[in-house]
Amino acid sequence: MSVSAALSDELYLQVVTFLYREAYLLDHWKLEEWLSLLTDDALYLMPVRVTEWGIESQGGVRELYHFEENKSSLTLRIKRLQTQFAWGENPPPRTRRFIGGVLVRKGDRDHELEVTSSLLFLRNRGDSPDLSILSAERQDILRITPDGLRLARRLILLDHTVPSLESLFIL
Amino acid sequence: MAARTRSKHRLADGTPLRELVRVEEGRIAARVFTDPEIYQLELERIFLRCWLAVAHESEIPHPGDYVTRRMGEDPVIVVRDREGQIHVLLNSCTHRGAEVCRVSRGNAREFVCPYHGYRFHLDGELAGAPAHEWAYDQQFDRKAFTLHRARVGTYGGLIFATWDVSAPPLEEYLGDMRWYLDLLLKRTEGGVEVVGAPHRWIIEANWKTGADNFIGDGLHTFMTHRYAIELGVLPNDPLIGWFGWHISVGRGHGVAIVGAPERIPLPPYLGLPQELWPLLERALTDAQRRILERTATVHGTVFPNLSLLNTTTIATEEGMPRVPFLTLRVWIPLGPHRMEILSWFLVEKEGPEWYKEASRKNYERTFGLTGTFEEDDADIWVSLTRANRGAFARKYHVFNYEMGLHRQPRPRTEWPGPGEAYWGDYCEANQRTFWAQWRRLMTEDRG
Repeated sequence: MSVSAALSDELYLQVVTFLYREAYLLDHWKLEEWLSLLTDDALYLMPVRVTEWGIESQGGVRELYHFEENKSSLTLRIKRLQTQFAWGENPPPRTRRFIGGVLVRKGDRDHELEVTSSLLFLRNRGDSPDLSILSAERQDILRITPDGLRLARRLILLDHTVPSLESLFIL
Repeated sequence: MAARTRSKHRLADGTPLRELVRVEEGRIAARVFTDPEIYQLELERIFLRCWLAVAHESEIPHPGDYVTRRMGEDPVIVVRDREGQIHVLLNSCTHRGAEVCRVSRGNAREFVCPYHGYRFHLDGELAGAPAHEWAYDQQFDRKAFTLHRARVGTYGGLIFATWDVSAPPLEEYLGDMRWYLDLLLKRTEGGVEVVGAPHRWIIEANWKTGADNFIGDGLHTFMTHRYAIELGVLPNDPLIGWFGWHISVGRGHGVAIVGAPERIPLPPYLGLPQELWPLLERALTDAQRRILERTATVHGTVFPNLSLLNTTTIATEEGMPRVPFLTLRVWIPLGPHRMEILSWFLVEKEGPEWYKEASRKNYERTFGLTGTFEEDDADIWVSLTRANRGAFARKYHVFNYEMGLHRQPRPRTEWPGPGEAYWGDYCEANQRTFWAQWRRLMTEDRG
């Protein structure tokens, strides 16, 4: 299936399907498969957010990150989980990613799309009755490749300045 | 009077506090980590009395700059006034108690309460209120309604505050810990600076779990952080955390300076970039410099809730240089079973850009909410808080703090720094020092 940068219904459907599939893979811990959806030069960023006056601060503090990752560092994170000694994720949590508000427009570069979406992330661990909840906006760049869409850059703007959970290896 | 003193040292069920913390025998009751009554006493007897770290000067470099923090559960504003002086103010209006500052950092000319418009100068003094001539019949007493001001002290750029007017000066409170703080905060002329804003997150664990771990727990690395051994990025040797000095500094402070077995090569000065070596040699004493020369990790706690970690971490991506990172953090109490971790990343101002970037990434990837090491610590601290809330644990469960109980500190000829220095970081002398200070404050007779 080939994709073009024309913003057709079909392209929108492909983008949404890509995001759903990605969420499915993460929720089902098919992490290597998820990694294969990233371009080799992918960046995965989640800056620290701070409560400040004014709208200009709402993009997060771009000096310190919760995630400042590339494919190599993400690979190491995923290898860690395969050791069975990643106590923060073992026994594995049950997670559910809800994605909505997907907006797509042409990127600055040919064969790239700028995709904004909302994420609601729910996580339950152990026998706790409580869910950890995170919500965020994702600003993605998806690249159109011969193999289909690939994630080239993800900027996650968490809605929390002080998240309440003890571990998070990926969002 | 005797009865009153006694009751102060006993919990509501009659248990003497002293019996819960038997450091001389290496026994600490599980109850101290989970009991709501003990927690309330800590807020008054520890967090109202001790010098508490609240910020670093580099976070508020300019006049009017402020950050909001907590001392215990109490919210404070840490602000630099027009003259450059730093004030720590209770973030609660003296009229009806609303927060006069509603964001976590910024720059202000004054603080204006959103409720009735009381205005405060940056030093906390009341500047005015709308229509006060009418509202208060021209008897508006500005001087009587200053925002509550904590005492402020700084060391190595770190800003501390205390509510206790009779507390010793900060320098005395830190005591010999200054010698070790210098190794991290004052090892170059320019010192270190905070990058961005701190990581902050909340976990369902008692605040002392973090302080107790950082002050001297060399043993946990082999099991808690075992993933790194399985992946071959840390050596598979049960003694990986042993080769170092474990120093009980006094006043509840402790630090460990850890290297590696002889056969394992270490880069000089924790792997700090070569450009910084001449600066180190100028800023540190010869003894301090020699100590850092073959060190991989420095960890410690300043009583009660400031901890530090400077470590040559694992490479967090292929081809990444192995450089050290420095984090300071406070374990902020938010209930017996909950704390906020506020964790700063700091780096030498004079460091080259490539080093600052690599150091930052290594910190972000191994510590903080998403850090591959910190996740495992935090998860276990949550589990120990969860496991000890029941009636049985509260009444009968006692933890083993015997490690190194029969070891003697080494003579000054072997260790040039202050404090009681034990060889081998598989030791709980520092933890016992922490708990002894905790017991002293929790049972102290004061007016």
